Amino acid sequence: MKIKKIKSWLFSLFTIFLLVSLTAIFQQSTAADDGYVGKDVCRACHQKSYDSYLKSTHSKVAIPGNPANRNSCESCHGPGLEHVQKAGAKGTGLITFDKKTDPEVKQAKCLSCHQDSSAVPFWDLSKHKVNGVSCSDCHSGHAGTKNNLKMAEPALCFTCHASIRAQANKQSHHPLKEGLMKCTQCHDQHGGSGPKMVKADTVNELCFKCHAEKRGPFMWEHPPVAENCLTCHVPHGSNHGKLLSSKPPLLCQSCHDATQHPGTIYTRFETSPGTAVSGKNRMIARGCLNCHTNIHGGNGPSVRGQRFVR
Amino acid sequence: MLLSVFLFGLVSLSPAFAQEQEDKFSGEISAQGTLTHINGNEAKFNEYRDIRNGLYGDVKLKYDDNKYYVDFYSRNMFYDTQSYDLEGGKWGVFKFNINYNEIPHNFTYDAQTLYSGAGTANLTYPTHPPSTNTGAWNTFDYSTKRKNSGAGFKIDVLKPFFMDFSAAIDERAGIYPIGAAGTTPGGIALELPAPIDCRTDSINLLGGYVRNPLYISLGYFYSNFTNSNPNLSFRNPATNNTASVTDTYSLPPDNHYYKVNLKGALKLPLNSKFNIDLATASAKSDALLSNSYVADVAGGLRNITLSTPFFNGQVDTNNIATSVTSRPLSFLDAKLFLKYDDRKNKSDVITITDATQTPATFNNTLFNYRRVKYGTELGFQLPAKFYFLGTYNHSTISREREDIPDNRDDLFSAELRWKGVDFLAARIGYERLDRKAEFLPTDPTDIETFIRRFDAAGKIRDTYKANLDFFPTDNFSISLSYKHRETNYPDTILGLTGDKGDEFLIDVDYLINKRIRLFGSFDYERIRQDQFQRQSTGAVDPSLPPTPTNFNWTAAQKDENYSYSAGAEIFIVPEKLTLLVQYSYLQADDSVDYTYLLGANPLPAGRTQDNIDLSNWDGYKLSRFLIKLSYNVTKSLSVATGYVYEKYDYNDAQYDGYQYVPAVTGTNGAYLTGAYNNPSYESHVGFVTLSYRF
Repeated sequence: MKIKKIKSWLFSLFTIFLLVSLTAIFQQSTAADDGYVGKDVCRACHQKSYDSYLKSTHSKVAIPGNPANRNSCESCHGPGLEHVQKAGAKGTGLITFDKKTDPEVKQAKCLSCHQDSSAVPFWDLSKHKVNGVSCSDCHSGHAGTKNNLKMAEPALCFTCHASIRAQANKQSHHPLKEGLMKCTQCHDQHGGSGPKMVKADTVNELCFKCHAEKRGPFMWEHPPVAENCLTCHVPHGSNHGKLLSSKPPLLCQSCHDATQHPGTIYTRFETSPGTAVSGKNRMIARGCLNCHTNIHGGNGPSVRGQRFVR
Repeated sequence: MLLSVFLFGLVSLSPAFAQEQEDKFSGEISAQGTLTHINGNEAKFNEYRDIRNGLYGDVKLKYDDNKYYVDFYSRNMFYDTQSYDLEGGKWGVFKFNINYNEIPHNFTYDAQTLYSGAGTANLTYPTHPPSTNTGAWNTFDYSTKRKNSGAGFKIDVLKPFFMDFSAAIDERAGIYPIGAAGTTPGGIALELPAPIDCRTDSINLLGGYVRNPLYISLGYFYSNFTNSNPNLSFRNPATNNTASVTDTYSLPPDNHYYKVNLKGALKLPLNSKFNIDLATASAKSDALLSNSYVADVAGGLRNITLSTPFFNGQVDTNNIATSVTSRPLSFLDAKLFLKYDDRKNKSDVITITDATQTPATFNNTLFNYRRVKYGTELGFQLPAKFYFLGTYNHSTISREREDIPDNRDDLFSAELRWKGVDFLAARIGYERLDRKAEFLPTDPTDIETFIRRFDAAGKIRDTYKANLDFFPTDNFSISLSYKHRETNYPDTILGLTGDKGDEFLIDVDYLINKRIRLFGSFDYERIRQDQFQRQSTGAVDPSLPPTPTNFNWTAAQKDENYSYSAGAEIFIVPEKLTLLVQYSYLQADDSVDYTYLLGANPLPAGRTQDNIDLSNWDGYKLSRFLIKLSYNVTKSLSVATGYVYEKYDYNDAQYDGYQYVPAVTGTNGAYLTGAYNNPSYESHVGFVTLSYRF
């Protein structure tokens, strides 16, 4: 009886061994048949890349459809058999996510999994796509950073948008370079129907999210303000205070003119050291805004409110 | 036997799907000691910063057992720029985030005011006339701080359905400079320290379905703004105010806003996609209106009659955007789009009766607009790796506005790109905007006859762009770009008549033998804006012969700035000892060139066409030098030390010879507080940082 039991256990162990061996052989031959070699083969030469992949969300088994649940490295880079057979040679059909690879090829590979993501439904509307920017220009499949970004904002965006970087460095600016704001707080980098890829249908709708005190509605409106904040402001940076595109009184005079003091010429003589006998308080310090501060609209009484001085 | 089959299953499955083990806990703790010395304006130096002598701490903690994860990141703990982010979730199931951060905005420290109560809604001074001795005035800081709190939750497990919820609170507090006319027109200017104490609460709900070929989502956004101070009361020193008459300045009223948004995208045959975005929104506010104001302080309050004491504001906006994108042929990308949006002002029309005005009865005007935009984009893949992109769009804006009711825009653009070789990308582009505006040739107020508001005036704008990216190796890249823009306003008689701008940029990055990284950039920009204006006592027509009191004049405003930066990152001992040295410089030289067009009439006494010009018009120089040495003692411990020098020199004609009280009456008169005055500074900051990773 005892011997029978032992024989039964030995038989079971042998069966397990046989089945496992057959499984391994079967998997290997299956992989070789469709060109996949498996992550262990990749790791043998690319240990550093593999270690960084382990830090990324792509390595999480818990996420259905993840590379970790499919062909690991080869899910993104393609089957590696030919690359291995040719002793690591290039030009074997593997996708490398660098500048030399066609952006359409790179983004097609990413979208083969991420097309069902709620983050990129309007990628086709994106200026990035139209201009040949692909996913891997900003994201890395190997990065252990938030959203797998290659670097933090705004430095990442500034690698292409150097003109915006120059504006953001000017003396009047949103706190981008101080790290207190990000480009993606205003812009949808993946595309949408808003102007200039902003996260809103209009510029004003976007600005009012943080500057709700300007939203009104006000009894006395200033129409160019109500229509578009960018009539007077440049959001990325300006040499002039309050992100203004031009400096009062000249900014205001480019619309208001001819009658009463809007049309008056304010020169060096109307500055503090100047000898003008009148009109200085329309030029010194904040110019027109010395009196007309409620320029975004207000509820002041009578003509005081109508002229934004109350 | 059964056991062996079970064990077989376990063994054969586990190599395929076993999560490879990494450390569950990891993190980094940094402590930085900083020594700071600032000469000059500390508020400008710390405009959006909080750099001072002290100890700063950053903490990063990460937990990930490949099922659940939690990340915590804190920065500048307990300082004015502190931030805390907690994120986590269950992979593939849900995500959450909770965050808090502060944003300071410092304008001017040690501002001075004749008023007591700076920072409250009630400003007063004891006796009239107020003292012009600023040494006896009250001192305060112009500064505001935002405190943002937020939380969000996202569900992934119900794929293809998704849900996303977030909420945020934005609190702002501080003191901000505003201006009021003492009397109008022709009176003094008053700079008042206004209290900021407001809060914006918002929630965002998004739910939808996404699975190829369909995406559809429904979103709801709600924002509620509350202001603790709907008005600012102040004793007005204009004219004789011995009776301590109080004037009132209206501050932003409470308001709330909601938006409902439906978005969809559907993939179609021939590599096409249809997109749609529908939204409706409404903003409302309520305010108790003032039925009096102070016109002449000696006379007390001037009463007015209002058709209703309350103003109920409501502005509704609607947006429809549709587009079809397609790649019907392998060499052709196409896009057609149509966008409509409107603004309907449904606020109260308040009728005001003020016997001192002409006409005595008048009302507020509600501003509405409607905009339709449509267009197309066509991209062609050409031989020899050229790509051509052409776009056209047309938009019509109809406004209810007294001056320029309608605009029609035609925008054309063409761009040619080349990526014929692996190491180079080049592009050139051209864009033309042709804007037509309708206006009345004769207008009793003379506005539409002569004046063109530049935001709606007819204009022709030409933009030229060129870019070259050169990256011959993985470790060297250089980027050059140039842009020229020129705008003419052909219909404009009085106002902005033209502007012109050029910008040139260069960026270089070079890594030598993986030991030294050199980087640098240069940017040059110049902008010129020309205006044709008229000073008149009633003879508005600019074609009339000039007189000493009715004449035309011009202004040419020039902004010219350039910046450059250069640096080196030297890996003295790779992954062990690194030296970073960086210098950057930015200079802005802005000026205004005025010309009186007085004909044979002399210029006002003492003035010539040259000595009226302004050579310092928001001019400044900003230089910054950084040197930092980092040493990785072990894999876990690193230490860094460094020094930062910064110098900011500001020079502007509006603040030359600054006086708090240039005069007490008339249009030279003002009571100022020093807001934005003299922002120049020079700073030295030394730091030592210790970081521990685990």
